[in-house]
Amino acid sequence: MQVWTKLFAKSPFKPLIKHAEVVIQTVETLERALRAWYEGDYEKMKKLAVEVDRLEDVADRIKEEIRDSLSSRLMMAVAREDVLIYLHMQDKVADAAEDTAKWLLIKRPRAIPLEIKEIVLNMGTESIKAAKLVYEAIVQMDRVIESGFSESEIEKEYKIIHEIEGVESRIDGLDTELMRTVFEREDELTWGDGTYILNVARTLSNISDKAKDAAERIRLMMNK
Amino acid sequence: MDPWLLVTIAVGFSMAWAIGANDAANSMSTAVGAKAITPKQAVVIAGVLEFTGAYFFGKSVTETIRKGIIDPAKIADPNVLIYGSVAALLAATLWLVIATKFGLPVSTTHSIIGGIVGYGIVYAGASIVNWTRMTQVVLSWILSPIIGAIIAYLVFKTFTKSIFERRDPVRSARIWSPFWIGLAFVVIGTMFYMKVLHGKDLRVGIVHYGIPVGIVIFAITYFLVRLRFPSSDPFIGVEAIFKKAQVITSGYVALAHGANDVANAIGPVAAVYAVATMGMTGMKVPVPRWILAMGGLGIAVGVATYGYRVMETVGKKITELTNTRGFTIDFSAATVVLVASWLGLPISTTHVVVGAVIGVGLARGVKAINKDIVRDIIISWFVTVPVAAVISAIIFEVLMFVG
Repeated sequence: MQVWTKLFAKSPFKPLIKHAEVVIQTVETLERALRAWYEGDYEKMKKLAVEVDRLEDVADRIKEEIRDSLSSRLMMAVAREDVLIYLHMQDKVADAAEDTAKWLLIKRPRAIPLEIKEIVLNMGTESIKAAKLVYEAIVQMDRVIESGFSESEIEKEYKIIHEIEGVESRIDGLDTELMRTVFEREDELTWGDGTYILNVARTLSNISDKAKDAAERIRLMMNK
Repeated sequence: MDPWLLVTIAVGFSMAWAIGANDAANSMSTAVGAKAITPKQAVVIAGVLEFTGAYFFGKSVTETIRKGIIDPAKIADPNVLIYGSVAALLAATLWLVIATKFGLPVSTTHSIIGGIVGYGIVYAGASIVNWTRMTQVVLSWILSPIIGAIIAYLVFKTFTKSIFERRDPVRSARIWSPFWIGLAFVVIGTMFYMKVLHGKDLRVGIVHYGIPVGIVIFAITYFLVRLRFPSSDPFIGVEAIFKKAQVITSGYVALAHGANDVANAIGPVAAVYAVATMGMTGMKVPVPRWILAMGGLGIAVGVATYGYRVMETVGKKITELTNTRGFTIDFSAATVVLVASWLGLPISTTHVVVGAVIGVGLARGVKAINKDIVRDIIISWFVTVPVAAVISAIIFEVLMFVG
C-alpha cells in the first residue's frame, strides 16, 4: 500500500532553509567584497562581486524548484500563499546583495575619503547582519512547527524578528550621516564619486529592508 | 481430502497473502516513516507478530460469514456455500491486489464483506443481506475516519500543550512523556485483552489488563528518563523517547491486526471445511489449528514478499513524520479501534489511521499532506464493497454454471 508514501508530501521548510543558506552565502560574499573595497583591493573585490552574482543565480534556481513543488494540493501547517510570498521576499534579499555588487563593479573608484568608506562599511555590516538573522528566523520557524506552535517557540521567533527590525533604525542613522558627510566634503569628490557612493549605500540598506519584509511574512505565518 | 477444500485452502492462502501485502504498511508505516525502525526490521517484526497474532490469538471458533453480513440459514445447498466462499475469497483477493497496485488503502474486512454480499445477492436476492449490519458498515466508513481525526487532533493538541508549551520543556517532558506512553499502554493492554484474547468485558479489560500494564510501563519509563534524559534539547530528547515507544506501539498494532484480520481469510475456508467434514454448517464453526497456521503463514509471507517493497518506499519517502507525530497517530488510532470493538462496530484500522493522520494535519502538526491522495483514499473506501461484490457475483455465477 504505497498510500503512505504518497500521503505525506515533502514539506517546503527544508528547501526553504536550503534557499536561506544560499542567500546567506550571497550576502557573506558581498560582505567580503565590501571589505576588499574598503581596503582598496579592487581585483579581489571584482572576483568576489562576480561570485555574488553567481550565488544569486543559484538562489533563483532553488526558488524555482520550491515553487514548482508547492502545488495547491497540499495541506500544510502554514498557508501555501504565505510560504510562496515569504520565499519571494527571501529571494529579494539575495537580489539586493547582487544590486550592491553591480554598483561596486560599475567603476574603479578614485580615492574616497576614509571617513566615508568607514560609514559605508558599517552600513554594509549592519545590513548584512539583518540578512543573516533571516536565516535564523526560518530555522526557528521550522522549530515552531515542530513544537506544534508552542508559545515559547513563537516567543523566540518574535525576538529574532524584533532584532531584524532593530537593524532598520541603526541603518537609518548611518544613512543620514553618510549623506551629510558626502555633501560636506563634496569639494573632494566628483559628481560621479558622489553618485557611486550614495548608490552603494542605498543598495546596502536595501538588503536590510528586504530582510525586514521577509521577517514580516514569518510573523504572518505564525498568526493563523 | 475434498478437492473443493483444497481449492478453498489455496484461495484462502492467497487472500491471507494479500492481507499481509496490503496491510503490512499500516501497522509499521508510522514507525518506519519516523525512522524508529528500518524497513528490514519492520518486515521481521510485522511478519513474526502477525503470525503470532493469527496463530495464537486468532479465534478458534470463527464466523463462517464475516460479521453476519448475510444469513447463512437461507443457504440450503452446501455447494452454494462452497462456491460462494471461493468466489468471495477470490474477489476480495483480486480487489486487494488491484488496490495495492494503485496504492489505495482499502480495507481487507470490507473486501471480504463485499465478496460475501455479492454471492449472497446473486443466490437469494437482496433479502439475504442483513441490512442493519450493512448500514453499520457503511456508517463506519464515514464515522471511523472522522472520529480518528477528532481524537488525533485533540491528542496532538493536549500532547504539545503538556510538553512543549511549558516554561521548562525538559522538565515537563520528564513527567509527561512517561504519562503519555503509560496511557498508550493502558489502551494497548485493554486492546490485548479484547482483540487478542477476545475478551468481552471492557471493564475487566481496563482494570485487569490496561491499568496495571500502564502503571508498570509508566514507572519504568519514568525511571529511565530520570536516569538519563537523552538530550539537553527538549525536542531531540522527546523525539528520542518516543522513538523507542513507537517500536512497541507499532508491534502491537501488527499483533492485533493478525489476531483480528486472519478471520477474513480463514472464515470462508472454515465454512468449506465444515461442509467437507460435517456436511453442513451454521453461523459459527470450530477451526482446526492448522488452518489458523495457514492463515498466519499467508499473512507473514505477504508481509515478507510484497510488504518489504512497500516498507522500503515508506522509509525513503516519509521523512517528514517525527516520532511524536507517529506516536500520536498510532495512539489515537488504537484508542478509536478499542472503543469501536467495544461497541461492536465493524471498524477498519486502515480508515482510522488515515483519519488520524488528517487530524494531526488539521492541528498544524504535519508539515504537508497530499490532498489528492486523501481524495483517492475516500473514493476507494466507497467502491470497495460494491466492486468486490460484483467480482464475487460473476465468479459465483461461473462456478455455479460449471459446477
